[in-house]
Amino acid sequence: MRIFGAWGCLAFLVWAIVLGIVAPEIKIVFVLGFVIVFSAIFFPSGLKPIRRPEFWVLVASAVLFSPLLIGEKDFSLLGLSLSRQGFWVGLWMALRALSMALAVGGFAYAVSADEIARLFEAAGLKGLGFAVGVAFNLLPTLEEMARNAYQAMRLRGGFRRERLRALRMLFVAIVLNALRRGDEVVEAAEARAFRPDGPRQEPLPLGRADLVLVAVLTVLGAGLLAWP
Amino acid sequence: MKTRFTTRDLVYIAVFGALWGVLEITVGSYLHLIFPPVTTPLVGVGTIMAAIGMVLALIGRLFVPRAGSVLMIGVVVAILKALSMGGVKLPAMIGIIIECLLAELSLFLSRKPGRGGFMLAGCLAVLWTFFHKFFASYVFLGRGIYDVYLEMLKKGAQALGLEMGYALVIIAAYLLVRIVAGGLAGWLAWDLGKAVQARLTGGERALE
Repeated sequence: MRIFGAWGCLAFLVWAIVLGIVAPEIKIVFVLGFVIVFSAIFFPSGLKPIRRPEFWVLVASAVLFSPLLIGEKDFSLLGLSLSRQGFWVGLWMALRALSMALAVGGFAYAVSADEIARLFEAAGLKGLGFAVGVAFNLLPTLEEMARNAYQAMRLRGGFRRERLRALRMLFVAIVLNALRRGDEVVEAAEARAFRPDGPRQEPLPLGRADLVLVAVLTVLGAGLLAWP
Repeated sequence: MKTRFTTRDLVYIAVFGALWGVLEITVGSYLHLIFPPVTTPLVGVGTIMAAIGMVLALIGRLFVPRAGSVLMIGVVVAILKALSMGGVKLPAMIGIIIECLLAELSLFLSRKPGRGGFMLAGCLAVLWTFFHKFFASYVFLGRGIYDVYLEMLKKGAQALGLEMGYALVIIAAYLLVRIVAGGLAGWLAWDLGKAVQARLTGGERALE
């Protein structure tokens, strides 16, 4: 059962993104630590990406490439000219990215499309809110769909010859599956009597747990930034 | 906000926004992370991502044939982009929305949807990536337009193996690369979109 409502989840997401951007260098380690602990307790499904090796390859490559591409080269390793500044920039960049990606993952798993739509509706953006909510919830599905379509084609020897044609077929299959999934969403929305121009839905409740979380995050964020 | 899109239109906008968004969040953010905008050569990450995005947004237009659908897809992508990993994303978000606005404008001018209109939309949208460099550097980094121009000339001259004096040729090369990429994106969007439509209605024989 979810302890926090959509407002609480949104507060956590906003906190992680803002701190992920503004927290200076070493403090980003604390932000990341908090995001991991919080997600592990309240949105464990959001930590699914860190179990995948490709996720770590992505993070590690940001650290490994930066010394080659950023800053003045001031030392060499295994015959490569590298930059200390580039290494640190890459490391902080990877930690910032990690904390934001995990917070987004947690939010996407915890908050439904309907709740995201209602959050936008609270800001007066009804049609857009619905579209963003559906898009946000489709992200993990699309990733899985693309992987399944690719694996299915590979198992049938799809990429051995005529790779361009295979790529075209893969693209069409992914878009087609996404549209079919979209049709299911349309049916579900219409079954719930959703109309883009229909009457406003009940506003999302702001629970006591959400208020406590907002207060804790505000104090923690301000403390982290003010701490010398 | 009063919406004139149906539920199906909004869901399809979400589908194409999510498809483009997934690519921006994964491939785009990753490429921007290892090739920051300051190292952008003749063909940058922005140009490649804009062309790929336009393919998806224009296919979206085939499925939601209403004015404003490409712009809505762009807004959805910009919001998803705001939540992706990477550093400063506001310039990229604004870039995506301006590209979609330009695509909308050319689709409005070409009236009837067709391959030509799609190619024009792609060209105009991807062409913005050239001007976006000036716009974003001036607005977000406070750099003078002339400095950006000089840096661009230097990078272009290096890439083409020319002297910096051939400024017109270098700028023409920058523009040409983007026009070709955008045109190709529009052409592909029409081709792939029709293939998807045919497959949905069962008209195409196994995508031959």
